[in-house]
Parts: sequence; structure tokens; C-alpha cells
Amino acid sequence: MELEILKEKLNQSLIIIEQLIRKNINLPILNNILLEVEKNFLKISATNLETSIIWWILAKVKEEGKVTIPASFLRSLIGFIKQEKIKLKSEKNNLILEADNQITQIQGSNIEDFPIIPKISKEDFVEIEAERLNQGLSQVINIPSFSQIKPEISGIYFSFKKDELKLVSTDSFRLAEKTINLPQKIKKNFSFIFPQLATKNLINILSLKPDNLKIYFSPNQVLFEWLGEETDYPNIHFSSRLIEGEFPNYQEIIPKKYTAEIILNREDFQNQIKKAGLFSGKISEVKLTVIPKENRIKIFSQSVDIGKNEAYLPAKIEAKDDKELETSFNYRFLIDGLSNIRGSEVIFSLSDSEGPATIKPVGDKSYIYVLMPIKMS
Amino acid sequence: MTNQELWQTVLAQIQFSVSRANFATWFKNTKIYSKKSGEVIIYVENSFSKEWLANKYSSLILKILRSLEKDIKSIKFLVNSEKKPSLNIQVSQKEEKIESPQLILKELTVDQKTNLNPCYTFENFVVGRFNELTQAAAWAISENPGFVYNPLFIYGGVGLGKTHLLQATGNRITKLFPQKKVKYILCERFVSGMVNAIKEHKIANFKKELKEVDVLIMDDVQFFAGKEKSQEEFYHIYNLLHQSQKQIILSSDRSPKSIPALEERLKSRFEGGMIADISIPDYETRIAILKTKCEEKDIELNSEVLEYVSSNIRTNIREMEGALNRLIFFKKINNKNPDLEIAKKLLGNLINIPRKKTTSKKIIQTINEFYDLNKEEILLSTRRKEIVRPRQIAMYLLREELNESFPSIGRKFNGKDHTTAMYSCIKIAKEIKENDELLSEINLIRQKLYSGLIEEK
Repeated sequence: MELEILKEKLNQSLIIIEQLIRKNINLPILNNILLEVEKNFLKISATNLETSIIWWILAKVKEEGKVTIPASFLRSLIGFIKQEKIKLKSEKNNLILEADNQITQIQGSNIEDFPIIPKISKEDFVEIEAERLNQGLSQVINIPSFSQIKPEISGIYFSFKKDELKLVSTDSFRLAEKTINLPQKIKKNFSFIFPQLATKNLINILSLKPDNLKIYFSPNQVLFEWLGEETDYPNIHFSSRLIEGEFPNYQEIIPKKYTAEIILNREDFQNQIKKAGLFSGKISEVKLTVIPKENRIKIFSQSVDIGKNEAYLPAKIEAKDDKELETSFNYRFLIDGLSNIRGSEVIFSLSDSEGPATIKPVGDKSYIYVLMPIKMS
Repeated sequence: MTNQELWQTVLAQIQFSVSRANFATWFKNTKIYSKKSGEVIIYVENSFSKEWLANKYSSLILKILRSLEKDIKSIKFLVNSEKKPSLNIQVSQKEEKIESPQLILKELTVDQKTNLNPCYTFENFVVGRFNELTQAAAWAISENPGFVYNPLFIYGGVGLGKTHLLQATGNRITKLFPQKKVKYILCERFVSGMVNAIKEHKIANFKKELKEVDVLIMDDVQFFAGKEKSQEEFYHIYNLLHQSQKQIILSSDRSPKSIPALEERLKSRFEGGMIADISIPDYETRIAILKTKCEEKDIELNSEVLEYVSSNIRTNIREMEGALNRLIFFKKINNKNPDLEIAKKLLGNLINIPRKKTTSKKIIQTINEFYDLNKEEILLSTRRKEIVRPRQIAMYLLREELNESFPSIGRKFNGKDHTTAMYSCIKIAKEIKENDELLSEINLIRQKLYSGLIEEK
């Protein structure tokens, strides 16, 4: 292998690729990337046996070939190089890097040991706007918690239906659902559960590559494809194994009727909750009282060792009757929901003191955050 | 040679020509899935293993296989999509132990396919005199679903463990017979599911799903009262399942006979198997239940507190659990065990609800609800049988619970004579002694009457 390549392009790809690599004691080759020449491109592959990435960079190719070397090492080395153009050459298992009047040699491994990344049949796909997907995923990504008992809720649920994509996640205490409109109707409905870590990798790529992308489905894997800016050749292939199992029938969780709906300024509400959180003690309990008669809500928290806090916020309240309504929440769950919303006002809806509550942005039906209260003391 | 032995021989040979790391990674959880007309299909763990083995080792594996069995001509790799047996119910129970006041989205804890909640088991079901027969019947069914008591009809008051027993039976069947399809469904869900299915013209799908199960568990069938279309559809599903020896387990808050507006043909079918009731637990059992719950939740309470709780909450296990949760919550916040004084204070408003005499209005209302009568019907002077009996019971209860005078009872029922009231009370009192069913019916009404008070608070 011998080629010349732009340093910036190589660096950009390595930043993303490095985030995907996970230490594997059994198979140290997984710390490596595979560099190979394909037509006029340098093709870089990496995998952790769950998630894989293949990245093509346009290069001036002199000689074909391949080599596999540790990813993080190459990346730190490139950080020291100032020159725009660098030369990569393979010599047996090793990589020779030439730039700035310097020559470095990186010890590689046997290319035969590098895993073969499975191919995905490119039959069913949807096209999607990267920016929307990025924004939607960032609103649901932080909710799942790793669970071996219920693996099906440890990922992000993607459900494509007609011209909509729903992104859903839950940790059994709360649930978030984001709806994204697709540019065109799809032929076949499709849904899958994407691992949380892989979704984080995906968000990283989306932030770097705001161009539209295609998603290809297959029964146990999904592939995200970006095409190159300069050519129609693929630029990035990002694929991951899916989580087996069925996502819970979550629609039943979203309450249909509320006893009170409260419109609040998001920032003020969030700040008051954060402040109340300081006083909330071990169980993170913050008590909210809706006072329909006075058009305001009370936020109260206390703990034996710290002290107590009481604050009032003006609110537009629509309630069944004038009765005061008291509910306790984990303040962290409230903040998580509020910080996923951008608008200036939110609708906070309560069903009853032991039933689910929801937070939605005012004037935006695409996002809903459902959370369960704390049993009141 | 069995497939298993064959594959073991292959692995034994391959391990010498592959590095240990590669062997551990790529050959983990592989096995021969089938061997048919010269083609061997090998199950691998994931698509990476599939690519790796197919590209690098297929000729080696084939060579070894052929040296063992000559007629093998080709091999194929498939990703094993069977569920891994790592799901362990034991683990999930441990997690349940970490009781925090944070409530969870209930729909998510239940199993998607069966609708069962894995934390209900026979192990954490306390057996006492009040429920031993029912428990034994349920246990027998779980050993041999479809062939012992079919259907099993369990009835008893609110919060006495009907749902627990139903779910435990379902859970045990799924454990003992993993291939059997178990479905737990709330009667209410069935009815609303029917309504939706009719609306969306998917009734065939809806029915098909239920007809395919091996064990159908339906909770709270008293909600069928008055829903004729649902009853009819259920009747057909029931017949089909019953004829093909599928197990059916039902529960209700009263015996089939006392469910109002239930079609005769369903009633008689419900009665056709085994009817078992769960009555109110005695004092000792209540203590035993509390102790089990304490163990589950990892809290130690002194016996004074336990005695206080169990002697004051008598008719409802769920309420007892609620009381216990309050005590646990106290412990969590203050980091000390509640003593009797604190327990009294904490549970005061739960226990000292004035169990005062109920009102006559309340009694009549409860009877109306129980027998599904219109408001005014019971007060009419009519001799229709379905009204006469409830009216007599109402009079009896007015006398027993409120100690009202006969003339005043008579006046309440459209100015009847005091002798009529007297006759009714004596008649019911006499019949109770002879007729157990009537007794349990009246006990259920009483329970409804008083548990209703608690909810109103």
C-alpha cells in the first residue's frame, strides 16, 4: 500500500472511529483499525463486534495493499503533524508514515486476524435528514439505563411508520418519545431497538456529518450510509447489531386524561427544581403542589440534615376542580425531561398522585416525556 | 454419533489449529443445528462469527466433518436467533428487593408475551387456612395444565391475593413448560380490546390471538356483567380452548352464580370445573404474611408492631402491605426502626378510620351495585324474584349493621309494613345458616360496604 492523503480528513475520521473502539482482552486486534486501498480511496475499518464503522477517504493511490495498526496510536501521532498532506506506506505488517521531513514506523498486526465486518443487504431503506435525526436522538438518548434483565429497554426504539419515525426510550421510571417526519412515505413499516452506546456513536457522526443519510434494514443489523461530498461513492458506513426482543407496548403508558394541566416558563421551572434539588436529601424528593385558585404552583423540598426550601411559580392552570393537588417527584427526572426541551414554555400534566405525569413543549406535539412520581411520605 | 458429539469432535480438533483468543471468540456458543441430506447447518452466535467462520474455517471444518462422516457434502452457517437462556427469574426477584419510593411504569415490568409479572410466585405466596384449598388447586394445575381442574374459578374479596395466585400459576407453567403459550388478561382489557377490534375491523385477529394460547388466565371476570357481545365472543373462545384441553383459569370477586347479567351458558361453564374461594385470613396467617413481606423487603420490625398492624387491618392484605410500606419509608428516611409508638402515629389515619356504622343509603347503594340494579328498583313494591332477594338482604343488613327498627326499615322500602321487614330478616338469618353460598355473598357485600368507606376517606 502506498498513498497520499489530507491529514485533516484522516484526523476527522480517526476521532470518530476511536470512540467506537472498546478494549477487549480476549481479542486485542479489536483495538486496531484496518487500512486498505479501495479504488481511489483509503478505506478505514473498525469494529467492536457489536458496532462497526467503515470510512472512505479520497486519496492519491500509488499502490494497493492493506495494513492493521492500533487506532489510538495513529491518532495521537497525527496530532503532532503540521503538514497538510501525509504519505502512508505499508511494509509487511507495519505502517510507514511520512510527513514534515520525518519518517515514523508503526508496528502492525497480521491482517488475517482482523474481523470480517458482515455485509448488509441493501434492499429496504429510508432516507432521512441528519440534523433532525441528530436532534431527535439527543432528546431521548440519556434515558435508558443498562439492564441485563430487560435488555429490550436498554436501547433506543426506532419505529418507522408511513411518513413518521418515532424514537422512544425508557428506563421503566420515565419514557421519552420523539416524532420525526420523514421526507417521503415508506413502503414497509419497520422497527428495531438500537443499542444505546451505538446511538451515542451515531450522534457523534451526525454532528460531524450534517448531510442526509440512508438507513438500510435487515433482520438483525442496521446500516447508516453517508455518501461522499465529492463523489457518489460511500463516505461512511456505520452499522450495528440490534437488540433482540420486543419493545414494550409503550403507547398504553402515555396517559390520555389528566386531572390538571399546567403551563410554566421552562427556564424558571427548571431553575426552581434545581434549587429544590439541593434540599431534597437522599431520595431526591421534591414535592409539587398545584394551587388552581391562586394560579401558581408550590415547590417544596426538605431534608433532615440540610434544611428546607419553599418556592412559588406563577402558572396557567387548567384543572378539573379547585382542589389542591400534591405530587412528589425525583427532581433529577424532572430536570432530565425539562432540559430535553428547547421552547420557552412547557405543559406539565398530572394524572394523579401515583400515576404518570407528562412534560411537553408548548406548541410542539413531537415530543413527550412521561415520568412516574415518588410515593409520598 | 449425535450432532452434539460430532461437533465436540470437530472443536477438539480445531482448537489445535487456531489461536486460543480466536477460538474463544469465534467458536463460542456454536453448535450443529441440523444435519440433513449431506448438508450440515451450524449455529453461530452473531454475524461476525458467521463471516469469520465461513471465510476462514469452512474448508477446515468440512474436512474434519467428512473424515468423521463420509456423506457430509456441504456446511452452512446461520446466526442463532434463539433467545439466550440467560434470563433468570431469580435475579429479577433480587432487584425487586430494592424497594424505593420511586414508582415505576407498571406496564413495563410485565412480560410482553404472557402479560405476567415475574415477581408473583408461589414461593412468596403465604398459605393459610383461608386459601390452602385454592392454592393447592392452582399448584396442581401448574403441574399438569389442562387436565386436572378445568376451568379453575377463584373468587374472593379485594386484596386477598387472587391476582397473585393467578400470576404465580402462570409463571410456574411458563417455567415448567416453556413451550406452552400462557396468556394473562384482565377482563376489562379483553372488553376494551374487543371494542377496539370491532372499531378497526380486526376482530378476527383479536380472537385468533387468544385461540392460540395453551393457558388462558382471565382476571376479574365480574366485569363481563352486562357486556353481551364480549360475553358471546368469550363464550366461543372458551369452548374452543376447553374442547382442545387447554387450561382456563378465571377469577372474580364473587362466585359465578352471583355475577349479575352473566349469560346462563357462561355461568354454567364457569361452574363446570373447580370453584375455589379465598376468604379472609386469620390473625396468625396475617402475621405470617407480614413476616414474609418484611423478609422480602429486608426490614426487621419488632413483634409488637407486627401485632399492631395485623390486629388492626383485617380484611385486606394489600392494605397491610401499604401499611408496611409506610413503615419502611420511615426507616429509610430516619434510619431507625419504627417502634410501636411511631407505628401508631404513622398508621393512625390508615387504621383509625372510624369504622363507624355505615349509613342506610350506603347499604342500599352497595346492594344495587352488587346485584346490578337500578337506583329505584329495589325500593319498588314488586314481587319480581331478582328484586325480592336483594331487597330482603338489604333489610337484613340494615337491621344487622345499623340496628334499625323494623318499622323504620319498612318505611324506607316504599312504606312496607314492619312485619315484612321482620319476615325478611328472619328468613335471611335462617337461610345463612343453611346456605354457605348466601353467607359468602353477604360477606362479600359487607366487605364491599366497608372497603368502600376506606376509599372514600
